[in-house]
Amino acid sequence: MANQLLEVSNLRTYFFTEAGVVKAVDDISLSVEEGKTIGLVGESGSGKSVTAQSVLRIVPRPGRVVGGTIKFDGEELLKKSEAEMRKMRGAKMAIVFQDPTTSLNPLYTVEKQLTDILLLHKQLTKNQATAAALKLLEKVGISEPTSRLKAYPHELSGGMKQRVAIARALSCNPKLLFADEPTTNLDVTIQAQVLDLLKQLQKEFGMTMVMITHDMGIVADMTERVTVLYAGKVMEDADTVTLFTEPKHPYTEALLKAVPSVAQTRALEVIPGNIPNLIDPPTGCVFHPRCKYAKEICMKQDPQWEKVSDNHYVACHRWRELKLETRS
Amino acid sequence: MTERTKRRAASQWAVAWRRFRRNRSGLIGTSIVTFFLLVAILSPFIAPYPPRSYQPLYDGAAGQSPSWQHPFGVEVSGIDVFSEVIHGTRNDLYVGLSAAILTMILGIIIGALGGYVKGLVSDVVLGVTQIFFVIPTLLLILLFARIFLQLVFKGFGLTLIVLILSFFGWSGVAFVVRGETLRVREMDFVQAAKSLGASSSRLLFRHIVPNILSPVIVITSLNIAGFILTEVVVSFLGFGDANTTTWGLLLNEGFSYIRTDWWVALFPGLTVVFSVLGFNLMGDGLSDALNPRLRE
Repeated sequence: MANQLLEVSNLRTYFFTEAGVVKAVDDISLSVEEGKTIGLVGESGSGKSVTAQSVLRIVPRPGRVVGGTIKFDGEELLKKSEAEMRKMRGAKMAIVFQDPTTSLNPLYTVEKQLTDILLLHKQLTKNQATAAALKLLEKVGISEPTSRLKAYPHELSGGMKQRVAIARALSCNPKLLFADEPTTNLDVTIQAQVLDLLKQLQKEFGMTMVMITHDMGIVADMTERVTVLYAGKVMEDADTVTLFTEPKHPYTEALLKAVPSVAQTRALEVIPGNIPNLIDPPTGCVFHPRCKYAKEICMKQDPQWEKVSDNHYVACHRWRELKLETRS
Repeated sequence: MTERTKRRAASQWAVAWRRFRRNRSGLIGTSIVTFFLLVAILSPFIAPYPPRSYQPLYDGAAGQSPSWQHPFGVEVSGIDVFSEVIHGTRNDLYVGLSAAILTMILGIIIGALGGYVKGLVSDVVLGVTQIFFVIPTLLLILLFARIFLQLVFKGFGLTLIVLILSFFGWSGVAFVVRGETLRVREMDFVQAAKSLGASSSRLLFRHIVPNILSPVIVITSLNIAGFILTEVVVSFLGFGDANTTTWGLLLNEGFSYIRTDWWVALFPGLTVVFSVLGFNLMGDGLSDALNPRLRE
């Protein structure tokens, strides 16, 4: 097996709210091979973002990582002190957030936003940092970078803001980049540009990327491997082609069927119901209340993490017997 | 981008300043405030008589009504009211401005701590702030002034009043700062800064506090008027520093002769009204400029 840059095992991140303990991430394991792009897929509330926050150790209160291990580049992150983590964040791993209008501080110019982090992590003079910021803006394809340096976020379009946010995340050459639904809040035409940019930058910087999304189209386009999450648990894990051609989990099937397609005239299939209450999740398989293949056993027993083939794992009692449809 | 927009500064402060310049009541308030500030700064040069001077008594002008020589009249004891109002301007503005700035600093530190550090610290800060918010501060200010004015050296009376007013006056700012900190700390750009390696103090003082300054500035400008009024009340009731001329002290002196020598109380009273009006108008203008969404 190739070098795994990130290995998350049995991660549990709970939110201790007044209503009860929300198990946002409940026993999630995944690994990311160096230089690859993996997809982290699921509906809202499936634990995608919290997984990323857990790795960076920036889970907001009242959330807390309560168990598991996170190995990054050979080091155990959960054993690191806050000061050690601070040095890694931004320098070795970074994250691009969903909404660029809120993820940039409205009070500071683009230059300030970029040089701030450069000066924080690198031994640079102010002039060197400004020069580096300028180069970054060019890299992320911002026109007139010199005048944009002096611009405030509200003077930029959504797409440009996200480019600045990407430039900021990449400023110190991180090994690992989380992209947390980086295009959800952008216009469709801009989405494609930003995704292309990410792809190109990944190659250029030799980064490893974790693409967090609920859009199967982006998964198909961007990723080499996919981890499907539901209600804080991993449902299926496979390389992208396999997942799209031979899904073994009913939830994966449902996700694939919920993608609109120009070729098909059939009505879009939706997944009935909502993601369960994570304070009091369903017994047995967490997906059984919404699963059309659910049987007696699904309500009673937690499914095992089973190996379908090399590089393909699934958590379903019935994967052997089910003939799941793939999108054609 | 046109040439014109290119040249316009776009920072939030620059935008707010442009909005403020178009605000009529804000400008009137600022003019009044500027006038009082000039009077305060230049008071030694423009006042006809030094503070607490009985010179008009020797000139035989004691108790005279307003005239060209003595525009605001003369007290029975022989003090020129016009000069005293000017000297009082300096002292009252000193009290109002220092107390407002001190409460702003105290309020930001306490409020930001209470909003940012969760757990016990937050609870304690909230509790203490609430206590200071509900206690009858005027009575305690009078009590503290009466006790401590006996202990301080002559000449530090006003500074003592500033300290007492600030000690009892920071809770309003702290409340707003705490609430705003709680709101802003959850914003994406704070989380983003954290994800890029910013430390807690950096998050707090570079990202959170600068983003909550707008309401703080508005409250502080209104607080200036409030503290001036409180100082007037304290001095009027005779709890202030009797060795220093303030508007309240003049009101106190004029109160006894209000039927005969009405000018001794009237002119300081009008001055108080105008200055407080000026600071309040300026504060409203700032509020409109800094929080345009709150209008209407």
